Amino acid sequence: MADILQILILGLALGGVYALMGAGLSLVFGVMRIVNLAHPSLIMMGAYVAFWGFRLYGIDPIVMLPVAMVILAATGVLLYKLVFEREAKSAKYSEMTVLLTFAFAMVFEGALATAFTNTQRVTTPDYAVDAIFIGNVFIPLGQLYAGIVSLVLIGALALYLKYSRFGYAIRATTQNREAAELLGVNVNFVGLVSFAIGLALAGAAGALVSFVFSFFPSKHWEWIAILMSLVVLGGMGSILGTVVAAYILSVVAAFVGFFFGATLSTLTFFVALFVVLLVRPQGLFGEKPELA
Amino acid sequence: MSSYDTVDQIVAARKAYNETLAQAADRTRVTWLPVLLLVILALFPLMQFVGNYNYPIHLVLYTLMYVTMASGWNILGGFTGYISLGHSVFFAVGGYFAGMILARYGVSTIIMAPVAGLVAGLLGYMIGLITLRVRGPSFIISSLALVMICRILFEKWQFVGGAAGLSLPINDLPVQWAKLPYYYAFLVMAAFGVWVAYRVKHSKFGLGLRAISKDEIKAESAGIDTRFYKVLAFAISAFMFGMAGAVWGEYLTYVRPNIFVHILYFSVWPALMCILGGKGTIAGPVVGAVLIVAFNEFFVATLGASAINILATGLIMALTLMFFPLGLIGTLARYRKLPRALNWD
Repeated sequence: MADILQILILGLALGGVYALMGAGLSLVFGVMRIVNLAHPSLIMMGAYVAFWGFRLYGIDPIVMLPVAMVILAATGVLLYKLVFEREAKSAKYSEMTVLLTFAFAMVFEGALATAFTNTQRVTTPDYAVDAIFIGNVFIPLGQLYAGIVSLVLIGALALYLKYSRFGYAIRATTQNREAAELLGVNVNFVGLVSFAIGLALAGAAGALVSFVFSFFPSKHWEWIAILMSLVVLGGMGSILGTVVAAYILSVVAAFVGFFFGATLSTLTFFVALFVVLLVRPQGLFGEKPELA
Repeated sequence: MSSYDTVDQIVAARKAYNETLAQAADRTRVTWLPVLLLVILALFPLMQFVGNYNYPIHLVLYTLMYVTMASGWNILGGFTGYISLGHSVFFAVGGYFAGMILARYGVSTIIMAPVAGLVAGLLGYMIGLITLRVRGPSFIISSLALVMICRILFEKWQFVGGAAGLSLPINDLPVQWAKLPYYYAFLVMAAFGVWVAYRVKHSKFGLGLRAISKDEIKAESAGIDTRFYKVLAFAISAFMFGMAGAVWGEYLTYVRPNIFVHILYFSVWPALMCILGGKGTIAGPVVGAVLIVAFNEFFVATLGASAINILATGLIMALTLMFFPLGLIGTLARYRKLPRALNWD
């Protein structure tokens, strides 16, 4: 029983981080209909920002988090202006952007690996290896902090989308781009801002990931499939769905890992992705099979 | 009013018109160039008599392998419009199947290549039945998931050697001739691949595939069995990958999951070659394969690192997609600047 509870806690602790990793992806898809396969490589970039901040200046990764967010948001603005704005006119837009973001994933991976080599990295603030014990179950402190920060950020995003005027415009664009444009929403600017927010979330996730997982540039391939499984299971574009899916899959993966071995625990995400795409392409919370 | 009286006459007139178009295309087609290329490549290993050309032979062999795969990918990605980034799965399946036969029974992979292709094609048919139900981005993502699943399965499957993979015997030819069986095998495969792409493009089947890529719902309502057509296209492209994988395993002398299910080299590169050369054209994949292998050699020779390679591949892909989405051949053809020698359609 204690085992089961322990696995459940470990799964839940990771769920928050996965949720934050997927939230930006979901937001960008919702507003711009871009399946951003470069998202995980941008998370990697955020992780390196935190890593070098910690390694060179001893700054705590959670303190580096806003820095990573700003850097990544700036990257997002640049990418949007240079690439995605002009692609909006393309006839095969959705397919085209998948391939394009895939290409950019390779560019970022190559750039990171060239600059920092493919060595495994991890930031090691004191709390990353600490844990608190409640009875005979333990909660790893690093994952707990990461989970809390993730939930705070996702909560802030949800509140922003729900109550601010611009968030209202973002939600309108997600629901119906043409109608929003007709009603005077500058959808191009909304796209730019939500792309920047999405990438800022990637930066934040990167800073948290840097002490939760060890990372190296080519690891983003694995993350692509993991994040896609969250976003697809949750329903493309639904941030709530992504969060729920992140917790479900993370707990399931923890159990699979416990009973069948650690390599098979990642397989959970891939199989889930495959099955959901084919059985229920709109996911749990998606309204219509947009992608099918 | 029309000067035709019956439907039959209209059909006959249209047939005659299409016939004249086809004949005009035949007259301008430069058939001698591919044939000449084939003869030159077939005679190229004779250079071994006058010096050591092992490395150029390796490069040509490598390019020919990619011509086979890119031409196969073209049938699905170019004609049908379903972008797969997971075809390395079929490459690995071909490699493992023929590798196991070679390791157990000593039958050369070159003989087994068509069988390995059939196995990969059959698997492709079955996977296609499932994954081709979704379209566009979903299909691309499902193909990526397939690679991830397949890689873990091969690493876990102890019967085929797990993560360490299979070691295969080295042939006992003298070193200057050791590459030649594989060289000719890949030459035949590449020629076969291009020929198949040509035949598909000029068949009713190919016409159906192109209709699917333009508008699947209209194609369906025009009476095309779209499901069967696209699954068959998937199987044919998997067949090419399986054949190439089979011989590549013996050439490398080992089959290993992290090399054979490699997403960059055996999934993305064939796709990139097709896109760079021109999706849906016959000469496109060939031109793309030559260019990418040449780029790769250039980067490895000048910069050395493999990470730079990934960066360069990504950059080429991004720039091509942004500025020449039709690819080299497609863009030239659109502006009517395509030299006749490269119009193999």
